[in-house]
Amino acid sequence: MSKNKVSRRTFLISSLAGMSSLVFADKLFAETKAAVDLLNPSSPLVLPPNFAPSVWFTMESNGRTTVHIFRCEMGQHVGTSLAQIVAEELGLRWDDVTIDYPQMDHETISKYGLQLTGGSMSVTQEFDKLSKVAASAREIILESGADLLGADITDCVAEESVITDTLMGESISYSEILSETVIDYQVTEDDLKNIQLKNKEEYKIIGKSVSALDIPEKVNGSARYAIDAQVPNMLYAKMITPPRRLGAKIVSIDDTRAKKVKGYKQTIPFNFPEEAMAFGAVTHVPLVIASNYPAAMRAAKLIDVVWDIDQTSSASSSDFEKEAEAILTNKKDAKVFWKVGDYESCDDDPSCIKIQQKYKTSMIAHVALEPLSALANFVDGYLHIYAGFQVGSYLPFAIGQSTGIPADKIIFHPHLVGGSFGNRAEVGTILLASLATMTVNKPIKLILTREDDMTFAHPRTPTVQKLEAVLKKDRCVGYQHNIVSATMQFDKMMPAFLVDPIVDGVPKKSDYKIETYTVAGSDNWYDIKNQTVKYYRQTSIEETIPVRNVRSVSNNYTVFATETFIDEISQQLKIDPLEFRLSYLSGIGINAGSNTPSSFGGGKRLANVLRIASGLVNYGIAKMPQGEALGVAVTGAENRFNPCFLACIAHVKVDFDSAAITVKKLTCVLDAGVAVNPDGIKAQVEGSLLWGLSNALLEKMTLEEGAVAERNFDSYKWQNITKLPDLDIHIVENGVYPSGVGEPATCVVAPAIGNAIYNATSVRLRSLPFSREELFEGLEKVST
Amino acid sequence: MAKLKINGKSYFVGNEPDTPLLWVLREDLKLTGTKFGCGGGYCGACTVHINGEAMRSCRIRVGDVENAIITTIEGLDAASNHPVQKAWLDLQVPQCGYCQSGQIMQAAALLSENNDPTDEDIEISMRGNLCRCMTYHRIKNAIKKAGKTIRARSV
Repeated sequence: MSKNKVSRRTFLISSLAGMSSLVFADKLFAETKAAVDLLNPSSPLVLPPNFAPSVWFTMESNGRTTVHIFRCEMGQHVGTSLAQIVAEELGLRWDDVTIDYPQMDHETISKYGLQLTGGSMSVTQEFDKLSKVAASAREIILESGADLLGADITDCVAEESVITDTLMGESISYSEILSETVIDYQVTEDDLKNIQLKNKEEYKIIGKSVSALDIPEKVNGSARYAIDAQVPNMLYAKMITPPRRLGAKIVSIDDTRAKKVKGYKQTIPFNFPEEAMAFGAVTHVPLVIASNYPAAMRAAKLIDVVWDIDQTSSASSSDFEKEAEAILTNKKDAKVFWKVGDYESCDDDPSCIKIQQKYKTSMIAHVALEPLSALANFVDGYLHIYAGFQVGSYLPFAIGQSTGIPADKIIFHPHLVGGSFGNRAEVGTILLASLATMTVNKPIKLILTREDDMTFAHPRTPTVQKLEAVLKKDRCVGYQHNIVSATMQFDKMMPAFLVDPIVDGVPKKSDYKIETYTVAGSDNWYDIKNQTVKYYRQTSIEETIPVRNVRSVSNNYTVFATETFIDEISQQLKIDPLEFRLSYLSGIGINAGSNTPSSFGGGKRLANVLRIASGLVNYGIAKMPQGEALGVAVTGAENRFNPCFLACIAHVKVDFDSAAITVKKLTCVLDAGVAVNPDGIKAQVEGSLLWGLSNALLEKMTLEEGAVAERNFDSYKWQNITKLPDLDIHIVENGVYPSGVGEPATCVVAPAIGNAIYNATSVRLRSLPFSREELFEGLEKVST
Repeated sequence: MAKLKINGKSYFVGNEPDTPLLWVLREDLKLTGTKFGCGGGYCGACTVHINGEAMRSCRIRVGDVENAIITTIEGLDAASNHPVQKAWLDLQVPQCGYCQSGQIMQAAALLSENNDPTDEDIEISMRGNLCRCMTYHRIKNAIKKAGKTIRARSV
């Protein structure tokens, strides 16, 4: 506990008792209580003001501290983790802590800055700041407490919401301090510079699996999600889905038949100008307005829409695959993303051999169980938005730009999110509800049906990837990863997020920029001397469907290709794939990972988690029955700057007659540095591993003539409660600065399973999702 | 006009008889704990009890459940302390939580018929209740835990 002497601050600690000598005097004179003057702040019956030393939390004289969560709660229990960080350094008793999710408007956003929940970055971005702000506030409380106790601050400690004078044994609670004093102080940047944080050994709340603060309301039906939002007199809106994902324009609508539906109001045909359509943020769509949702659904079926279809947006998934193959053959317009050494000239030795393989991955959709919805109410010049959204601070800007409402008149009321996985970074639904309320001058609640939600999917891009390696004796000396995919069009949406190509670990100014989140994961942690990652952008996909970030984003395809190919290299070299990996994970040079505190240690930490996983499965020792094998994959996802070092070993059984794949067990070891809430991390990894399993074996979204083919869960299949593998998850806690855990484990599952399938059958599957038919054919070939 | 008996109360609603019960619960009666997930009976987010049986309220017409005993998550237990809810809390099952009302209602119905279900019993009963956060392992464990509580009570 901190015992450093705080310099006398300029902050104002005013004693309520001191200020209110009159009150004391009254008490002396009068037996009967004087009438309470509620306007007099020194009246003892008026609650003392809160102590809000920063925008991040507020302490009340009743002992409660509310931590304000400027992140989107979508199942990761982010509020609990952030509150734990605050409570730790503030010296709070955990039971005194609550959380809230403040509204986001011009004023709050100007105070809090960017509110972006994504990239598994909440804890890594907030840990240092919240720790230091809370520690600074603790010093102030400590000083106030010491004053009130008449103690020397160096003798005092702050723990469990109590300041104790260790010399005299006297103590005073935070509640008592705040009841007796007014502390009017805002923590400054300067305070943060000198503040001393606790050591890992001193942690009492960080590292503890406290119960998530958002769970109780989720078991009794009282949790409020965006779709539950309601205001008086609201009308409901339902989309009429267009025949193309993009590029179908409304020519005319005829609602004659719908007018017979009780509750039907009107249909608004939204055709957007070209500039609004950039990067596929919105689609031309008619909105059916009715007094209740079932009426809107009934009416929608009775409205005839004439569409003008743009044939350039009518491609199918199979077209993209063919085109990607052609791009890989022509090799035109390659953009180097990652370069180490010189791949092009590393195969000059005649003893070198070159191997190459191609990998394909399909589109995967978010399909959060809560369909997208938004309630918008334009009243008195202010636009109120009730929704769930991952980038709250962007909403007033984006919606303001598209509606003409000044950004300072837009207020976002965040709601719980019934699963997002990246999809609630899309403004389209919120924009439509906003435009609709402005049109009809009534609050509008737009709800997407499952079919609407999937018709307007923002899936992960399909990819075709070609990997090459140059092998010299028993070493891999060269490695090239070619990726063909669509981008998420950050160049149009938020160009500030693009990066320069990375050459030998350092960004290099170039005449182009790269969308990191489309290629991340290909910048692997292996010490292969000569590496190049080349990116080929497939714009035809972007013209047909806006592909976006789906849990673990690019890692799902780059790590699948990388980790499968690493196995194929080791197979070529006749080296055990786990040993092969370890021999390239020395954490040297650019792989030392010293660019950010959470990446400290780099490849060495990746090797460590792999070693632990290897021990847990008794690797190379346990005998497997025929048709069963282990497969390995590792990753430093989510990004090199916030890596969760993670190893996954899949135990898979293949039935040779039917080609049925059974994943018996997934063993996963991860090192994300300080584990703020171990059980919360475990929950995220449990979910991520099964996501990865579902992606590997079941999920596939396809386009047919420019439209999403799978519109509900009868055709878009994903993991249910049957055929679950056992999960064995281990968290390596080493006190390093934390990274993030919400997504990374999704991306190692498919390659681990694929590698296990190969080890069990000698059949290599290179397309996701894995096809049982392909395995069946492979098994037939192997047996003949 | 239809008379509905929900969570021990009577409601008179004027919806068209073919209106899915789900929307009457959510939008007219403000019982928003029951969730809309797919509208096709594939996901189970809208599961309620009709005369004690777990059913998908998105596929039930309000005109067909007059005088039936309807229970939603809000009415499963007066203090929201049903053994299933308690087990859900103890094992920290929910992540986003959106499917969990349906999961809990399905699990409670399963346990009322069979308070000692095997893994297979659980899979058969729960396979139509999807969870996109994939909390399935915790759901399984929580059902077993709740079953234990219920069995202890009945001896």
